[in-house]
Amino acid sequence: MNLLRKSLACATALAVLSTPAIAKPIAFANGTTAMAEYGAGTMVEAQVFYAPKAFWSLGLGHTELDSNMLDRRREITYARVNYLVKRWNMKAAQANVFTWGGAGEAYNSDVDGHEFTWNAGAQVDYETRRIYSSLKADLFQSSNFSHRIDTLQLGVAPYKHDVDTVATWLVVQARRYTGEIHDGTEWALLLRLFKRGAWIEAGATTDGKLQAMAMVNF
Amino acid sequence: MKKQFLVAIALTFATFVSNAATIELKVYGLVCGFCAQGIEKTLRKNPATADVVVSLEHQLVAVGTKDGTDIKDEELTKALTDAGYDVKGIARTERSIAEIRESLKAK
Repeated sequence: MNLLRKSLACATALAVLSTPAIAKPIAFANGTTAMAEYGAGTMVEAQVFYAPKAFWSLGLGHTELDSNMLDRRREITYARVNYLVKRWNMKAAQANVFTWGGAGEAYNSDVDGHEFTWNAGAQVDYETRRIYSSLKADLFQSSNFSHRIDTLQLGVAPYKHDVDTVATWLVVQARRYTGEIHDGTEWALLLRLFKRGAWIEAGATTDGKLQAMAMVNF
Repeated sequence: MKKQFLVAIALTFATFVSNAATIELKVYGLVCGFCAQGIEKTLRKNPATADVVVSLEHQLVAVGTKDGTDIKDEELTKALTDAGYDVKGIARTERSIAEIRESLKAK
């Protein structure tokens, strides 16, 4: 909770002080977003969403959590609906509030069985072509486990990209897991590159583990 | 005399309809390549669209229409709004899409 409070304060401060490249669950109307993330050996995730309109999308996801504290593993497969609650379009900036909900099935190593699982979450983000911030909370809940993954990302671009140039971002990521998946805050430094519909980012956590993500919009 | 008059009207009309229009829109919320991709995809679905240029730097979306066609301001505004962006102004210009592209490269 402490991290969440601090993260909210940072995101709010950035939103107020600056004029902010963000992975969004809805890219654009009639667009499909496919993303895959390798999260430092603790989390692996793959998602595909189709957006009939600019304000909602639906799709499937698969998230695997491996505890580095206990012999604990979750393999969660779910259907999810994403909703754009609010967007602020400014002259050279954009801010969004997204929320989502879904349901699926999870393998729970604690009981060595499968169980019904809920998924809910929210994201706030703000970006210009030079500054970027996002805060995301993603909850997976079943009758036997509850894991919330809070991710804060703050990024800066060394130059302003445009449509036909590659966007380069340096991103600091802080992530916390509840439910004894990871002890403390997982910090990572990432290099993000994207152009039009293709996005790739890679970096390392402070204990030298790979953190990487790829995304395509089409 | 009557024939010449009709030919003159026909020529004037032919000249008018053969001119492809360029429509420039001032759009807020353009911050990344995904924005441009979504807007281009949306506008190119319109059968009157010949070409589209997006500039994040200039908050500009320029639409070139095919010869003899036009797209109403309301239609463009709705398309951009439905795509998730705010249209702040629309102007019909003499510049062609190629000229706009060149001027953006030059800047």
